[in-house]
Amino acid sequence: MTSHDVTLEWPDGRTRTIAVREDETVLEGAERVEIGLPFGCRTGACGTCTGRLLAIDGTKRGDGVDTGGGDVEAAFAYRRPPRALKDRHRDDGYVLLCIASPRTDCRIAVGSSVHTELVENPWK
Amino acid sequence: MSGSDTQRGAEPEHDHEHHHHEGPGYATPQAAIEESEREKLAYVMSLYVGTDVDASDFVAVVDLDPDSDTYCEIVDRIEMPERGDELHHFGWNACSSSCHMDGLERRHLIVPGQRSSRIHVIDAKDRRNPELETVIEPEEVFEYDLSAPHTVHCIPDGEILISMLGDADGELPGGFLELNDDFEIEGRWEPPGEIEMNYDYWYQPRQNVMVSSEWAAPKTYYPGFDLDDVEDGNYGQRLNFWDWEEGTVEQTIDLGEEGLIPLEVRFLHTPESTHGFVGAALSSNVFHFYEDDNEYRAEKVIDFESREHDDWDMPVPALPTDILISMDDRYLFGSNWLHGDVWMYDISDPSNPRRADSLSVGGTFGERQEVQGRELAAGPQMLQLSLDGERLYWTTSLFSSWDDQFYPEEADRGSVMLKADVDPRKGTMELDEDFLVDWGECPEGPARAHEIRWPDGDCTSDVWQ
Repeated sequence: MTSHDVTLEWPDGRTRTIAVREDETVLEGAERVEIGLPFGCRTGACGTCTGRLLAIDGTKRGDGVDTGGGDVEAAFAYRRPPRALKDRHRDDGYVLLCIASPRTDCRIAVGSSVHTELVENPWK
Repeated sequence: MSGSDTQRGAEPEHDHEHHHHEGPGYATPQAAIEESEREKLAYVMSLYVGTDVDASDFVAVVDLDPDSDTYCEIVDRIEMPERGDELHHFGWNACSSSCHMDGLERRHLIVPGQRSSRIHVIDAKDRRNPELETVIEPEEVFEYDLSAPHTVHCIPDGEILISMLGDADGELPGGFLELNDDFEIEGRWEPPGEIEMNYDYWYQPRQNVMVSSEWAAPKTYYPGFDLDDVEDGNYGQRLNFWDWEEGTVEQTIDLGEEGLIPLEVRFLHTPESTHGFVGAALSSNVFHFYEDDNEYRAEKVIDFESREHDDWDMPVPALPTDILISMDDRYLFGSNWLHGDVWMYDISDPSNPRRADSLSVGGTFGERQEVQGRELAAGPQMLQLSLDGERLYWTTSLFSSWDDQFYPEEADRGSVMLKADVDPRKGTMELDEDFLVDWGECPEGPARAHEIRWPDGDCTSDVWQ
């Protein structure tokens, strides 16, 4: 089974590169090598596992690639629809790691703070 | 309401011999007040989901005995077998509604994972050292096209009913899942499709009525609160009134724009009563509902004004997220999570609640922002009251993703549990500055704390038949 190098980047600067098979999700690949990533529903409904795509194949995300979420669509295949993400989130490169399997080498921002970027305090 | 064939309001057909009470709980709400001992332990839902702490959610056993050496400490933690649950609300396998069931015990806690849809059963026979007994895996729940378990109540015959907020995909409609007394899924309680949104519920078996409230589809509220969803009508504003025996919706009341996101819903404890209250979190209102001529009506009776904050762009709504009714049905207590208030209203006349007292602590505007030198990272949220009505406790976490949005520091500091001493005779509250339970000190890292239960029944779980 084909696998791809997925580099996980935490806000504190820590990085880990893991080989994730095309038939497993990024979350499953991380669990296989005992890396703890945040998750909740595991069905694409809750967004707890949200990551942000930083680069594909060493190319910075958005460099000469189409817009409209195309970067994420090129980098991952979803097992099920990513219900927790709105169009604006998908366009901005957010990806649900519990249901996304890689189709290319890539770098992803991970950790619970990525999920908090999805919505703001509307009153503040 | 479906006309004159309703059983609601009719005299009960069965003979309920309260004086031969052999089962769990108490024969009447007044008996609960008279016969119960002071709460010495609390079970508190505690969670790590959504943080970078790589640990499972747990049920905390908190020592509430002032004479104990471990007073205000978490003395035991029942860890869940998997991560990612978001423990939220929970309930007993049996309450006072089963007080006629000889041999049934208030012994097992039903502990659902809000995000995982995993349902845990904890044996609390040893009150201080409960043990995990059974786990119902999410896949078993999804088979009934349900997810996101929320409120747990027992049914008077020993079975258990859980409100479910979404379908198997985290979309609408929600429904109700029934467990049998062996803690196996019995099936769906209602014919699917009776409701769209779901949240909390409460029933009055003697009146053959159940009322349920509405949050939103799980996929809507899970990621956090988005004003676009309000504009798109993705949040609830309705109360559904059910025929309790048939499991069918008889009447739906749309609370309108002043009733946005009706969350905790409580009938008065008196089994004859058809009066109840629901807090509309986003509209900062509390509604009173009651039966009148075989039809339920709902009227706004409490209104909390938004407040201006120098550092915030728009007036800040109160967000009253939890309410509870004292066991003697005399006071309604509640929390304004964003503002940082705990309040009590005299509901002797439920149509005209009278403000009795409030405390300003934590939150965005609280007059007191620390207790025992411990900075408060969020406002008062889930409440629990002693059965005698003299001690009010609360925790500070609402829902992990909503916490992160409105009180991001809570992730670093963890939740606290605080307490006020209540004088029901005078209608006053006073913060107990000697009481503080700190989830910031948990061994794996700061945790959040949500719903609170007493070992022998409380004001938000017991129903009388």
